[in-house]
Amino acid sequence: MNTPGIPAEHLADAPLDTSDAVVLSMLADLYDFIDPVPSDLVDRLQFSITLDALNAELAELQQLPEAELAYRGDQVSAVTTLTFASESLTTMIAISPDGPDRIRLDGWIAPAAEAVVELHQGSLRRQVSADADGRFAFEDVAHGLARFVVTALEPAQHPPVMTPAVEI
Amino acid sequence: MINAEAEQGTLASRAGEVFSRYRDGHTEAMADLVAMLTPILWHTVRAQRLDKESTEDVLQTTWLALVRSAESISDPRAVLQWLIVAARREAWRVMRGQARQVPYEIADDAVATPESEQPDNVVLRGVSESVLWAHVAELPERCRTLLRVIAFADRPDYPELARSLGMPIGSIGPTRGRCLAKLRASLSADARWELR
Repeated sequence: MNTPGIPAEHLADAPLDTSDAVVLSMLADLYDFIDPVPSDLVDRLQFSITLDALNAELAELQQLPEAELAYRGDQVSAVTTLTFASESLTTMIAISPDGPDRIRLDGWIAPAAEAVVELHQGSLRRQVSADADGRFAFEDVAHGLARFVVTALEPAQHPPVMTPAVEI
Repeated sequence: MINAEAEQGTLASRAGEVFSRYRDGHTEAMADLVAMLTPILWHTVRAQRLDKESTEDVLQTTWLALVRSAESISDPRAVLQWLIVAARREAWRVMRGQARQVPYEIADDAVATPESEQPDNVVLRGVSESVLWAHVAELPERCRTLLRVIAFADRPDYPELARSLGMPIGSIGPTRGRCLAKLRASLSADARWELR
């Protein structure tokens, strides 16, 4: 497998072989280990791209999930509420269990307004409408990092509101 | 994920497909592209010895530039090369700015290697890894950069990636090229080296 004594010039003109593939894959592992990509970098990049593309207003998380880990088991039925506030509207979202390992999100927007609400989880997008009372719901949602984009239908042309990513 | 590799092609071709999907109006495909290519772009910029914080800024600028130029990129299949070239340019721009703020002199390659990348300061998991790392550290910087970046791609992508990194034709793929040959030669001369 190794080729002792063969000068580098000869090796250079030979085709890539399986040993090269092994060396390169070790090298990738090494660099991943020595200088890993920050764990949340991909999410932050996706966030700034979406924010930029939507020209969106950024909401702030007002209330952290209570006992974040508590609703991660199927034995727990507690409802947790998230509140996002921005200049133009406030979005509240109640999280409750919806079968094993799935959750249900019940939200409402204040001031009440018809709106399109998008749920982003990685590249997964789901869209629902909020009624005139500003109420909306997502059923059968997976746990994980999620963010919401709320576009009120009135006034028209108002930029959408985007929340930071939260673990739900 | 049966036959996933055969079906999905190389990193560059998969990226091209996802980017085409994005250009066809599937905006959510951009999230997949970011997830797919951030590792290779991270190592491309870090190989230019930019600190981590600046590297994050560079990557953000690069991705936003892609979104803004998405329609003007003539060949969507070349999106990986486009991103590598854009990230390296942006890294240079940032480094020039930093150099003006904090003037310092780089005496030679060894001094210029960040402390955290010096072999002695890296606690590695196995003997073969420490041996590999020691020999990689002996390579000229342009070779380290080339191998670091192509290690995150697939073999058919190597020639185009080398070109994006400003390396001459024949640097790697289909033949081994001088950088990898140098590494293989020095590894094979090391009694401690044994391929797994």
